[in-house]
Amino acid sequence: MQASTLERVVPGVVADVILDVRNVTKHYGGIRALDGLSLQVVRSEIHCVLGPNGAGKSTFFKMLMGTERPTSGSIHYDGRDVTRLQAFERARLGLSVKFQNLRTFGDLTVFQNLFIPLRRTCGPSEIPDRVSEILRQVRLPGVENRLVRHLSHGQQQWLAIAMSVASRPRLLLLDEPTAGLSAEETERTAEIIHEVNSEGMTVVVIEHDMGFIRSLKARTSVLHYGRLFAQGSFDEIAANEHVRQIYLGTE
Amino acid sequence: MEPPQSRIIAALNGPQTLGNSAFFWIFAILVLIVAIFFPFYASRFQVITASNLAISSLLALSLCLIWGYCGILSLGQASFYCVGGYAFGVVGINLIESAGNTNLALIAGIVAPVLLAAVLGWLMFYRRLKGVYVAILMLIVSLLLGLFMRQTADPSYAIGKAALGGMNGLRPESAGDPGIPNITLGFGEAVAVFDGRSAGFYWLVLAILVLVFLGLRWLVNSTYGYILIACREDSERTETFGYDIRLVQLSVFCLSAAIAGLAGTLYTAWGTYIHPDGFSVAPNILVVIWVAVGGRKDLASVIVSTVALGWLSLELSRYGEVSLLVLGLILIFAMMVARDGIVSALGEQIGRLVAARGSRREIVACFKGGRR
Ligand SMILES: Nc1ncnc2c1ncn2[C@@H]1O[C@H](COP(=O)(O)OP(=O)(O)OP(=O)(O)O)[C@@H](O)[C@H]1O
Ligand SMILES: [Mg+2]
Repeated sequence: MQASTLERVVPGVVADVILDVRNVTKHYGGIRALDGLSLQVVRSEIHCVLGPNGAGKSTFFKMLMGTERPTSGSIHYDGRDVTRLQAFERARLGLSVKFQNLRTFGDLTVFQNLFIPLRRTCGPSEIPDRVSEILRQVRLPGVENRLVRHLSHGQQQWLAIAMSVASRPRLLLLDEPTAGLSAEETERTAEIIHEVNSEGMTVVVIEHDMGFIRSLKARTSVLHYGRLFAQGSFDEIAANEHVRQIYLGTE
Repeated sequence: MEPPQSRIIAALNGPQTLGNSAFFWIFAILVLIVAIFFPFYASRFQVITASNLAISSLLALSLCLIWGYCGILSLGQASFYCVGGYAFGVVGINLIESAGNTNLALIAGIVAPVLLAAVLGWLMFYRRLKGVYVAILMLIVSLLLGLFMRQTADPSYAIGKAALGGMNGLRPESAGDPGIPNITLGFGEAVAVFDGRSAGFYWLVLAILVLVFLGLRWLVNSTYGYILIACREDSERTETFGYDIRLVQLSVFCLSAAIAGLAGTLYTAWGTYIHPDGFSVAPNILVVIWVAVGGRKDLASVIVSTVALGWLSLELSRYGEVSLLVLGLILIFAMMVARDGIVSALGEQIGRLVAARGSRREIVACFKGGRR
């Protein structure tokens, strides 16, 4: 039922918006990483964000999570202005992110890495079971005591995804979750995204992999020079001449 | 149902500390027994020295907690130590006659540095100051406090019966008043006096060191310890998991100040003496060297290196000012051979050897959390 809501989203129709980004600008010195970006995410949808390198996608996520502040504009989550909230407060409201550069704790074990997100919602005695459960889910069973920096890049990517999902967020932000994964692992990532989405989690995914985006069957926004360039279903976006020019053409 | 003693041991063990095997604990207990009986076979002077080394170990543990476990390097850790010492002295001088004990003075020696840490920590961590800024700021705070204390020779700088005394160190206002008291615990007539030169004082300090060590072992292997370590590795990422890292940093900073203040209190009572030189660069750097050489990420390693280096400093002090120079060279050597400390590196090596020779059970115990 939840998955079908998003298919019915049509411009102009009032939808149940979980995330409302209004006219957000972010300047880094002279660089305008975001330049008046406005974008809405509907509750329980999977939403893809694409755009050429440097379009401001990762900056967008940093604004959402609150690790950095916008220069201007506002961010509304679940009907509430969260622009001035600290990152930990947003996390407690149900936001969670997997950063592009993973940000796992490399010098710690896999267990220690998962302990941190899990402990917010689980008692300490439940954690060993939850850790093995999650590791099975992302197909990394039995690596609890390995140091994360000794894992392969693909395994670290999985772990990073697992860490962001572990706290059962309501809005999950995934920045390039398939980078460095094999085709089969990419497919599994799509499965997991569908799994957590069907449990009611809203998911925003930044991606470059066209096949992957197609498999998500998601509403798609294209960012270009820090602005919303186009929006629609994947097929509409894929058929869009201008998008092809700025993005698909460059691939 | 697990027997209770194994639950206690389990709570003291974990991935945040080296030495989680039965071998480690048996060895630690043997060392403790040797330390307890030390006054029976050592000279009086050696016992006094040993008290000092145990106090230094406490101070080192306080820095180990914030730097090794939470990634907050402070170059002003000695300031908490000295503030604790001065607070103990001031309250002690004022109350020892009327109260007959130093209970309140001891509390003041802990509370005063905690208050200082709370204010500084709030200013730094709630403004999200990090890394080198915190380190330098703390050094500056320490130097400023030292500068202030140096110019308090004038009798107008007196708190009740205690004159801050400038370069003469803390002393009583008038000749008739008592000096900095011995640690005197208890109430009314039932008090225990711990003369800083006695074996009793040594045992008191040893007991406190053991308790603080065990308490910290428990703390760093608890949930709080996991969060501390996550903050050390990547504080921003830790925050995005829903932890208020400002509060984590502030709280651990205050706890560290409490331990440093306790150490400073014991130091002041040990020598019945506290002086503004304690705020200067050398003592601040010395703590960093003790912690870095041993291994900032492990409590036991830090105690071992502090005792070893503290003893070496005392031996070298016969030859004048070379001791800090030699310690500096040892630090450079340590950083080249083992970035995370010599004692930690040796400990890990021994852990592996024991595991290779020991029974299967010991192998499991060693590897469960022994290596990071
Ligand atoms: N901390 C920063 N300081 C200065 N400039 C920055 C910073 N972060 C991002 N930028 C700049 O902002 C622009 C947008 O960066 P961003 O990382 O958001 O792009 P992106 O869309 O995620 O690109 P990619 O596909 O390569 O990940 C880029 O020009 C980048 O160089
Ligand atoms: Mg990016």
